[in-house]
Amino acid sequence: MSASAPSRQLILDRIRAATQNPRQSASNAAELSRSYIRRGKLGVQERLKLMIERLREYDAEVVDCVPEEVPAAIGAELASSGRRVFVAPEGLPAEWLVAGFDWKIDRGLENAEIEQAEGVVTAAFCGVADSGTILLHHSPSEGRRVLTLLPDWHLCILYASQVVETLPEYFDRCPSPGTPVLATYISGPSATADIEMTRIKGVHGPRFLNVILVRDGD
Amino acid sequence: MSGTLTGHPVLDPRLAPPFPIAALPLLRNAQLRENVAHATDVIQSKRARLVAEKTDWQELRRAAAAIRSHTLEHLGSYLEEFEARCTAAGGMVHWASDAAEARAIILELLRQEQASEVIKIKTMTSAEIQLNPALEAAGIHAYETDLAELILQLGEDEPSHIVVPALHVNRSQVREIFARSMGLKDLPDDPKALTAAARTYLRQKFLTIPTAIGGANFLIAETGSVAVVESEGNGRMCLTLPRTLITLAGIEKVLPRFADLEVMLQLLARSATGERMSPYTSLWTGVTPGDGPERFHVVLVDNGRSSILARPTERQTLRCIRCAACLNTCPVYRQTGGHAYGSVYPGPIGAILTPQLMHMEYAQSLPFASSLCGACYEVCPVKIDIPKVLLELRAQVVNQERGRAARLRDPMFIGMKVAHAILAGARRFRAAQWLGRIALRPFIRKDGWIHTLPSLGAKWTQTRDLRGLPSQSFRQWWTARGKEER
Repeated sequence: MSASAPSRQLILDRIRAATQNPRQSASNAAELSRSYIRRGKLGVQERLKLMIERLREYDAEVVDCVPEEVPAAIGAELASSGRRVFVAPEGLPAEWLVAGFDWKIDRGLENAEIEQAEGVVTAAFCGVADSGTILLHHSPSEGRRVLTLLPDWHLCILYASQVVETLPEYFDRCPSPGTPVLATYISGPSATADIEMTRIKGVHGPRFLNVILVRDGD
Repeated sequence: MSGTLTGHPVLDPRLAPPFPIAALPLLRNAQLRENVAHATDVIQSKRARLVAEKTDWQELRRAAAAIRSHTLEHLGSYLEEFEARCTAAGGMVHWASDAAEARAIILELLRQEQASEVIKIKTMTSAEIQLNPALEAAGIHAYETDLAELILQLGEDEPSHIVVPALHVNRSQVREIFARSMGLKDLPDDPKALTAAARTYLRQKFLTIPTAIGGANFLIAETGSVAVVESEGNGRMCLTLPRTLITLAGIEKVLPRFADLEVMLQLLARSATGERMSPYTSLWTGVTPGDGPERFHVVLVDNGRSSILARPTERQTLRCIRCAACLNTCPVYRQTGGHAYGSVYPGPIGAILTPQLMHMEYAQSLPFASSLCGACYEVCPVKIDIPKVLLELRAQVVNQERGRAARLRDPMFIGMKVAHAILAGARRFRAAQWLGRIALRPFIRKDGWIHTLPSLGAKWTQTRDLRGLPSQSFRQWWTARGKEER
C-alpha cells in the first residue's frame, strides 16, 4: 500500500543497519543443525495404537475397520450419533454418502446452511500419532475450512497409511516446495481451559470429533 | 477481580507505577494470589509431564533457538520474501514503524470496509499497540472472541498473562460478569455453563460481522502463509467466516520455511498450555477463492523491535514465541500476577521486552523485578537467556541514573557508596560488623530474623525479612577455634 511505502523502506533500513547483513549473504535455513527426532521408531500396529490412544485422550471417539467396511462404518457412526442432517465436501466418495440420512453436498453452501447441519463427514490428509493430530489440507474430499467448523459433530475418515508417528514425518509428506495453501491441524475437539484451568470441550468449533481409522495395510 | 480492590490495572508502561509500588496491593489480594497460584500450578505440572515424555526436548530447543536466531540475522530478506509470496497469493502487506502508524493503517482499512463492528482473535500485538481504545474512539465496536479476552472485556479488566489472560479471575467472578453483561440472572457458576453462555453470545457475531482482526503465531517466508494456533475455534471462525481479515504481526514473527513449523509446533503447545498440540492450528496463504475471506491484509509492526535487533545481547528477546512458560515458573510472577508489570507483556519476558519496546524510556523498574534464579531460561523453548538480558538492562538503567543529580539523595546510591567504602578495607569491614551487631540487636526477634527496621532500613524490610547478624563473625570463630586446638 502506498501510504506505508516510506515506512516499509524505513523499517527495512533499520533492520539492515541492525543486522549489517547485505541481502545476498543470506545463507540457507535448511543448513541449520537439526538433531531432534525426525523419523519414528514404532511398527505399524504400535503407531496406530498410539494414534488411537492419543485421540481418545482428547475425548475423540475412534472405531476402526477394513477398507470394504467404510460405508457400513460411516452408517453405523451416523446412526449412533442420533443426527440426521449432514454436510459433505463435494469430493467425498459417493459410496460414503450412505442412504437414510439427509446429505447436503457443499457446492458453495451458504454459512447459514452449514450452520443448520448437525454434522459433517470428511476425509483427511494425514494423522500424526505422537500428538493424535488430524491434518486437513482442505482438498475436495476434506472440504472447505468452514465445513469442519460450524457443525457440532465431525466424523473424519483416516486411513492407516496416512498415519505417521512424528510431526516432522508429516512435513516430509507435504508436496514440495512445502505448501498446502490452506491447512487445519486438529488435535481433539474445540476446548478451553480459560476458567480456572478446567478443560471444557466444545467452545466454538465442533464439540464432538469421531474418527474411523481404516486399516488399509500401510 | 483485582479491579475491585486495586483500582483499574494500568498496562501502559508510560503511565504505570513502578513495579514495587504496583505489586503491593496485588500482594495483599489473597483471592488474586490464590487464582494465579492455582492456574500456574496446573499449567506447570501438565507441561512438566509432557516435556518429560519428549526424549528430544533439548534438541528441539536447540533447533528452535538456531532457527529463530538465523531468522533474526536475515530478518530483512525473510520479511521481503514473505511480502512477495503473500502479495502473489492475493494478500496485502502493510508496514507500520510504530504503534500510532499501525493503528492508523487499521483504522483506514476499516474505513474502507465501512466497518462499525469487528470480531477479534486474541492478539498480543493488538494490546501492545492499544488498538481497542482507538477503535472505540473511532466508533467501531470490537468483540473479543477468545473466552478469556471476552471475560476481561465484559468485566472491564486487563489481561494478566500472555496465554491465559484471565487466570486471575475465578469462576464466581466470571459468573458475575457474564450474568450482568449478558442479562443471564440464573447463570450457574460451573465452567461448562459459563463456556456455553460465551458460545451462544458470540455465535451470531461470528456469522454476521464481516470484518475480523487477528494476530499471527508465525509468518512463513517461503510460502507467504500465516499460522495461528488456538484452542477454542474462535480463531477459525474469525479466519474463515468474515469477508475481510486483518492480521497484525510483529516483524519478528517470520520463519524461513514451512517445515520449520515442525520444530515450533512441537514446542509451543507443550510450553504454553501443557498440551501435545493445541486443538487447532490454522494455516492460510493470501486469499483462496471460495474458502475464507475475500480480502486479506497483513500489518507488519516494528514499534521498537528493530532497535532491539541492533543490540547483540538483547537481540535474543526477539526469538520469543509468546508461550508464557517463563511466567508460570517465575517466583516473582507467581506472587504478583501480571498486573504489577504495567505492561501487556508481564513476567520475565515482559521484564525484558517492555522496557526495550519503550526504548528504555519507561518501565525501567521491570529488569529489577526478578531474583535472577534462572527458572525462566530453563523452561524457555527458544533458549532466551533472560537473566543475562535482565542484567544487561539493569546496567543500562543504572547508567541512566548515574547522570542524574538526584542520585545524591537516593538511599540506594548512598548505600552502595557506603558499602563500597566499607568493603574496600578489612579493618573498616570488621568495624562495621561490630557496629552492626550492636545496632541491630534490638531489632532481632526470637526467631533470629529482623522483620522491621526504622527509617531508611524500612525500605528493605517492607518487602523482605533480614537475618539477624550472628553473635560471632566467621573470622572470630576461626581464630577462637585455632586457639582451642593448640
